[in-house]
This record gives sequence, structure tokens and C-alpha cells, in this order.
Amino acid sequence: MNAIELKNVTKTYPGSTTPAVNDFSLELEKGSITTLLGPSGCGKSTTLRLIAGFEKAEEGTILLDNKVVSDKYNWVPPEKRGIGMVFQDYALFPHLNVYKNIGFGYKGSDKDQRIKKIIDLVNLEGFENRYPSELSGGQQQRVALGRALTNRPVLVLLDEPFSNLDADLRVHMRMEVQQIIKEAGATAIFVSHDQKDALAISDKIVVINNGKIQQVGSPRVIYQFPSNDFVARFVGQTNIIQGVIGEDEYTAETPLGMIPCYHNHGHKTGTPVTISIRPDSFELDPNGSIEGTIVSSIYTGESIDAKVKVEAENKPITILTHIHPEKVVTNGDKVNFKVLPNFVAVIKSDS
Amino acid sequence: MKVKGDTPNKKLKFRHFIRRGWIDLWKGNPPGPFLLSISIAIALVMTIPILYIVRQSFRANINDWIRLVDNRIPELLWNTLSLTLSVTIVTIILGVSLAWLVHRTDLPGKKYWKWLLATPLVIPPYIGAVTYIIIFGRSGWLRELWNSSSFLLSSIGSYPFDVYSFSAVSLVLIMFTYPYVFLIVSAGIKKMNRNYEEAAKSLGMSAWETFWKVNLPLLRPAIGAGALLVALYVISDFGAIATMRYVTFTAAIYFQRASFNMSSASILSIVLILLTLTILAIESKTKKHNKYLQTANSQRKPNTLELGKLKIPALVYTSLVFFASVILPLAVLIFWSLNGLRMGAIDSRFLGFAFNSLKVAGIAAVISMLLAIPIVYLKSRYPSMMSKVIDKLSYTGYALPGVIVALGMIFVFNNHIQFIYGTYFMIIIAFLIRFLPQAMQASESSLSQVSPRIDEAARSLGYAPWKVMLKVILPNIFPAVFAGGSLVFVSAIKELPATLMLRPPGFDTLAVRVYFEASEAIYHLAAPAALLIVLVSIIPLRYMLSKY
Repeated sequence: MNAIELKNVTKTYPGSTTPAVNDFSLELEKGSITTLLGPSGCGKSTTLRLIAGFEKAEEGTILLDNKVVSDKYNWVPPEKRGIGMVFQDYALFPHLNVYKNIGFGYKGSDKDQRIKKIIDLVNLEGFENRYPSELSGGQQQRVALGRALTNRPVLVLLDEPFSNLDADLRVHMRMEVQQIIKEAGATAIFVSHDQKDALAISDKIVVINNGKIQQVGSPRVIYQFPSNDFVARFVGQTNIIQGVIGEDEYTAETPLGMIPCYHNHGHKTGTPVTISIRPDSFELDPNGSIEGTIVSSIYTGESIDAKVKVEAENKPITILTHIHPEKVVTNGDKVNFKVLPNFVAVIKSDS
Repeated sequence: MKVKGDTPNKKLKFRHFIRRGWIDLWKGNPPGPFLLSISIAIALVMTIPILYIVRQSFRANINDWIRLVDNRIPELLWNTLSLTLSVTIVTIILGVSLAWLVHRTDLPGKKYWKWLLATPLVIPPYIGAVTYIIIFGRSGWLRELWNSSSFLLSSIGSYPFDVYSFSAVSLVLIMFTYPYVFLIVSAGIKKMNRNYEEAAKSLGMSAWETFWKVNLPLLRPAIGAGALLVALYVISDFGAIATMRYVTFTAAIYFQRASFNMSSASILSIVLILLTLTILAIESKTKKHNKYLQTANSQRKPNTLELGKLKIPALVYTSLVFFASVILPLAVLIFWSLNGLRMGAIDSRFLGFAFNSLKVAGIAAVISMLLAIPIVYLKSRYPSMMSKVIDKLSYTGYALPGVIVALGMIFVFNNHIQFIYGTYFMIIIAFLIRFLPQAMQASESSLSQVSPRIDEAARSLGYAPWKVMLKVILPNIFPAVFAGGSLVFVSAIKELPATLMLRPPGFDTLAVRVYFEASEAIYHLAAPAALLIVLVSIIPLRYMLSKY
């Protein structure tokens, strides 16, 4: 069962020549959490607003719960779509307290029970009579999420919900929001430009750039096997190098030597390819085949981000590596690496 | 067959083209038909009377045109412009010097002067004029005092002041309009950065030189803005100049209409409209070009200059202005009100006038609150060229003198909507045309604080657009809408010319009574009504002060 389906949706804003959303097709299962991930201005927020009904698409079809809500002939206004929305600035009604914000728009006869249940779900017992201005950022976020869930929406949309929170709270709210949505059994779409948010909460990530879908997949697939140059660079750090598929089709011949490469898009031996190697793929190993000199290093606490100059064939190349933080390295150190196969992928190069 | 087949297709394409254009005009988000049509209707009502005057002036008798252009118009232009110029120049001198003394020097009691010097705003100039007539007039106190003093009579001669003169009219207008310059320049001084002054000092300039070469040029935009407000007021004023028997365009239009020479009235009106538009054009031009960007960072409070020996003269000067513009008029009003009270002026007749004032001003205030909301909502939530035009049109009557709005309404209603002509609804409509923008401005600043995401949140929770406006937007902006309504109420209570021209026979308001009783020198009847108007005007003073 699909909660939502987009078929070839295109939206161009008046006064603009390039579409903000370009020929979008997407299906999302009931109960899943999906993140639309991309840089600002890529069309992810527009997609969200098209689904909510705040913008009209000029091409394509949108189905909610298998019913058409937008195509050439049909148009269902936002108030009749049954979608819950959590806004970036929360948009809580300033004149209503928490209880009334959460109950806003609920028409069932079990109103009081329902509100209490939601307040319980979002952990706001005791705050019923507070006004939005009297709440912390995290509490406001919970009210916004609760309000979006009260009406038992087909779909909950969350527009950059964590961008207004400071780092600690952000990590905490990621987990909490994910848990609340799962507990409520809701289907959710997040919009985010932060890869960490996306990787942490999603069942599925949709990477978008310039109004076009770049890749759809689980967080693991997106991170380990980015399908093109943009995805590889946008989601995490990476090294892009050129190579040729090796003889057994699971290795590649590169300036760094022969490296394992299982994710090869079925390219045959001898095909020239572009390969993305995550910094995590390089492991310090005294017997490793790659030899280089540390040029610069940054200690981040979680790891050491080190740039290593490798003398390859005739011209040297610099690669980014993650070294375990317990090691002590200084610039000029000679180090040896080996390549782990898990974070190596052939990508389609953007031409 | 082929032709027939083509037509519906072409029609469809044309309709699609129109639809697409319409959506593009509203940047993809067209408003509902109800909201749009009600806003357009309001904007039209605001504009029609003025357009009608333009139309009438084109159809006016050519002989009237020739007669007026030869004779009357040059004279009125001279009267109006000379008065405007002299009042504007003196208000600049007063406003700038007082603002400088209060904000930059160690003038004793400056904390209080800051507020006290703005208070003349609560006294409408025509009421100020009445009090000056009571003191300096032909049967005034001062003349009696003078004539009873043989010393003054023998040493200087007969009573030298004429209250019905150019200089007296100027003085009255200056005393009750200088706060505009004072307030705006004060705001400018408060924003001024100390760095510029110190730079000038480091280059070897004295304090006096710095004032002329650095401070004054930096204040020029503020001075200009204040001066234009004063100039706009002077050319639109009817009450003060008519009370003091000086004739500018407004008074001339009023008297032409009183003698039913509508053709001449419309010709004079068109000249006055052009005059107003000229000043407005200068204003919008200076607003655009005359903004100095003062570096916002490292903002430090300017130092306080020591007055030294000038302290006493400065204090005398400040007190004198305050005395002439607040103490004197209030003392006169209170004295004559007490007299009136003793002589039984507060009778059922008086209460009737007060009730009439309350009725027309109250109804206008409530309606203005209702009408302001759709226009402001349209402008803020559906930005487009069209909503901008609707908004601008709504300001037509606000920008123009009350005499002109009233004349336009007489044309329209007498010719086309006679059943309203001659009822007090004419006054209410005139108030709306004149003052609706006050309610709009207040509501607009509040609505801009409410994020459009709030509207969308309510929509996604199942509320239709009209319900969003009633249940979400209105509760949030109501305090501001109410404040706007009370501004309209106060302006309406003070309004004189439109009320005078449009009231049905026998329908007198407080303002109208002040005008008539004063013109017949029945001061004990004029004073209580005037005092009541002044008291009502105190209500929005706080709001007005915070605006500048």
C-alpha cells in the first residue's frame, strides 16, 4: 500500500524559466519515514508544499492514499487533504495554549481523550495550559508534532524540523521524533539539507538536486554506494578517482593500485569508470599497499581527518582519510593504508 | 466544418491563456473571489469622490475657469503658499532647536521635556486658534487689560495685536504643528552615531562648526520628513484658518460650496489636489534619495553638551514654547469650561452634541476596523501588483484635505445616491474615506508579525481560508485592529470641515459647536466642547509618540 504517489510532477514558479520541481516520480509505503535531502533551493521544500496543497503543480499527478488530489482536472485544497504538517518555525498558534493547539481542528467526539493521548505521546503532560511563548524550542517542536498527528493524518510532512534547535537538543529530538512517529504508526516525509538528520531518522532517503531526483535508497545504500558524483559529495565526504574495471569484475585498477570494488553497476572488465571512495574505507595498515605522506590533519574528536599525499605513477594525488582518534599523527609522517571494500562504489559521473 | 471545429479549441486556449496570466499576476497564489471583490469595492469607494471632482472640474463652466485663473487662483496660491512656507520654516527652527536641546544638552528636566514638548499634538489647531482668539482677540482678555492700563496706552498707544492677521494665523499653526518636526528630528538625533562627531573634532572643528557641518546635514532627511508633514497639514487645514478669518484654498472651496457655486468649488479643488500631489511627490522622492546609511555597528550614545551660561536662556525658551502651545490654551479652556459649568452650559443640548459626535465617530471606528482587515490581509498574504494598487487607492482620501473629500461626496451622493444624501451616514462615509488608512496601518504592522506559515498550519488542519482569517488571524491581530479603530475614533471626533459640509440640518457635533460658538464669541459654550475633544485626543498619544 502506498501512502503517497507522485507521477511526473513538474512545478515552475511564475517568473522563472527553470522548473523548481522537474518530472518527479516517487512512491512511499505506508508507515515509512522518508527524507527529501538536498541543498537549499533544490526543490525539496516545493515538493513538500505541492504534496500539502500550498502550491499547484502544472504537470503530473499526486495521489494520497490512492486518491488523486492533484492533476490536470482535479484539485483538492489543503484543508481537505488530511495531511499533518510540522513547519520549520513550528507555526504554533500564539493565541492558543498547548492543549488547544494540539486539539485545533480535531472534530471527533472523543476530542478530550484524543488530545490527552497525543499530549502523552509527545511527553507534554503538565504543559497543557502553557502558551507557545512560554515553551522551550524542543517543547515547541513536540507541540507542533503532536498537533500534526491529532487528526490521524494519512501523511505527516516535516519541513526542516531540526534546523532551529541547537546541537545537543537536535540529536535528542531526532531520536524522539522518529520514535513518536513510529509509535503513532504514521507515514512521514522530512525535508532536510542536513545529511546527518537524514541518515539518522529515515527508512528511505531521496536525494534531490536542481529539481531532479538523484538517488532513492536506504541510508546505508545512499552512503555506501552513491550513484553519482553529486550524491557522493553531498552525503558525507568522499574521494573521487578514475579507474578501470579489473579482470574479475570486483576490483578496479586505479592510480592507487588495485582496489576492491563490488558495487560496479555491472560494468565489464576494461571499462573506464569513476569511483567514489569514502574516507572511512582507508584503514591504517603497516602492510598496506598504499603508501603516502600526511600533509595536514584535523582532530575532530570522533576521528582524525587527514589529507595524505600519495605518489601515484607520475603525478601525486591527495586523498582524504579518517584515522582512528587514538592514533597520534604529525604532518610529514609516512603511513601505509589498505582499502576496505564497503565504502567503494562506481558512480555515474555528472557530465 | 473546419472553422466550427476550430473555434471551441481557440476559445479554450484563450481561456487557458487568461487563467495562466491571472495566476502569474498573483505569483501563483490568487485570492478567493470574495476577499478580492470586497477589497476592490472598498478601494473604489475610497477613490470615487476624488475622481468625481476631477470629472466635474473638466466639465466646469469655461467662464468660471477664466475668472478664477485671472484673479482668485493667484491670490489663493499666494495666501496658501506664503502661509505654508512661513509655518514650515519656523517649525523647522523650533523643532530642531528643541530636539537638540532636549536630547544633546544638559537642559534641566530634559527627561520630562521630551514628553511635554510633544503634547501640543492633542490640541487640534482650530481649538488652539479659538483659545488664542479668546486671549488676543478684539474682545479678548489682553485687549481689556491693555485698555484699562493708562500707562500702556500712553507709552505705546492703542492695542497693537490683530488676531485676524497673517502673523497670528502663522503663530497658531506653528504652535500646534511643530511637534511633528520635533518628534521626527528627535528620532534622528537618537540614531546619530558619535563617531562622526569625534571624527570632526579630531579634524579640528569646534562644537558649533560640527553642528553645522556634520550634525545638521545628517539630520536633513529627518528635517525634510517633518517639514513635509507640516506643509501637508497647513495646506489641508480648514478649522484654524477659517476660525482666524484667513482664506486659503480650503476655506475658499468651503465658501464657494456654501454659496452653491459648485463649478468654482471643483476648479479650486483641482488646484488644491495638484498642490497636495506635488508635496507628496517631493516627499516620496526625498524618502528614496535622502537616506544616509549610518554604520549600524559600533553605535555609541553621543555625549551630552554642556550649556554653561546658556542654561537659563535655553530653559526660558523651552518653557515659553510649552507655555504658549499647551499651558495657555489649556488654562483658557479650563477657565471658560468652569464658567460654562456655572452658567449651565452642560445641558441636554450639550449632551446631544456629545452623543452625535460619539455616534458618528463610533460607527466610523467600528466599520473602519471591519474594512481594514480584508485590504490588509490581501496585501500581506497575496502580494501582487493588484493588491498594491488596491492598498494605494485606499490612501487617496487620507492624503487629501477633508474639504475635498466632502465636496466629492456631495457631487456623488447628490447626483446619484440621494437617499443617503442629507443623513448623518454621509459624515460616517467621509470619516472612513479620510481615516481608514489609520486603521490599516495599525493592523498591517501587527499582521506582519504573524507568519504566513500560521495560515498554512491552520489550512492543513482542516480550516478553509475564511475560517482561518476569523479563527486564527483575527484573534492574533485584534489588539492592533482595535488600536487602529480608536485612532480613527479620535480623528473623527476632532474632524471639522467634512462634518461641517456634510451634516444634515440640525445635526451638530462637538467640533461643529466649537466652530460656531467661537465664531459668535460665546466662549462659555465653546470651551466645554473643546476641552472634551482635547481629553479624548489624549487617548492615542502614547501610540503616536511610539510611532516616531
